[in-house]
Amino acid sequence: MTTPLSLSGLDPPRRNGELAFDAPWQRTVFALAAAVIEHAFGGDREPFRQQLIRAIAAEPGRPYWESWTAALEALVPSLPDDPCPDRT
Amino acid sequence: MSNSAHHPAPMSPVEQRVAALEALLTERGLVPEGFIEQLTRRYESETGPMNGAKVVARAWLDPQYKQRLLADGTAAIAELGFGGPEGDHMVVVENTPIVHNVIVCTLCSCYPWPVLGLPPAWYKDPPYRARMVREPRALLAQMGCPLPEEVEIRVWDSSAEVRYLVLPQRPPATEGMTEAKLAALVTRDSMIGVARL
Repeated sequence: MTTPLSLSGLDPPRRNGELAFDAPWQRTVFALAAAVIEHAFGGDREPFRQQLIRAIAAEPGRPYWESWTAALEALVPSLPDDPCPDRT
Repeated sequence: MSNSAHHPAPMSPVEQRVAALEALLTERGLVPEGFIEQLTRRYESETGPMNGAKVVARAWLDPQYKQRLLADGTAAIAELGFGGPEGDHMVVVENTPIVHNVIVCTLCSCYPWPVLGLPPAWYKDPPYRARMVREPRALLAQMGCPLPEEVEIRVWDSSAEVRYLVLPQRPPATEGMTEAKLAALVTRDSMIGVARL
């Protein structure tokens, strides 16, 4: 039906249901960003997304999950001091 | 498969950075116990292209559903029980014999998670993001989806505000098929628009 694609040496999977992560750290950093979005920014994805856009633009050739990591690192200084004021 | 905290091999620099982030964010109370496992399990097993395939199959069989889907993607997709983060402003674009739609995110990797799961690696890579805008016909041909010259290609740039889903054309010789059988024909790539059925 389709022929395999070569995109700059990548060989993208053509099947449904493919695993999205190649290593456990990628899974972890993905979830850490989700945790920050949910628990520090009340579900607002925009602060992280802006950092991700910046991280990708800064080094377009960098592997995706490394840019994701850099974006999360860049977001840390802007985290609210006490994200859970009502916690006991 | 396991997300082990115990690596037999020394950690790579990026693994160390992620471990440091995890420790810091956990200490800040931002990562409840079990959060990482629950979240990734949800995205790896409960969301994925099979959800989008159900939406597409329903639209093929039920003209009124299709109308609702094209008018308000988010609401029609929610009718089938799919929604949530990264899927709150869904727009569904319909392929026809003369129009082919394809989705991309030029800035980062916006993608309709509830109906397609997590994006494939190539979707996030610079060559796809840049070339799909600059030369969609050539890239689609290279990806195994050559289109006749007379077919108009529309490239939709996803964003935080809007996530697109392609409604592929129903393949020929599928009359009389059940919704489940039709859904099994629908591929992830056809809903991104880099393949036809």
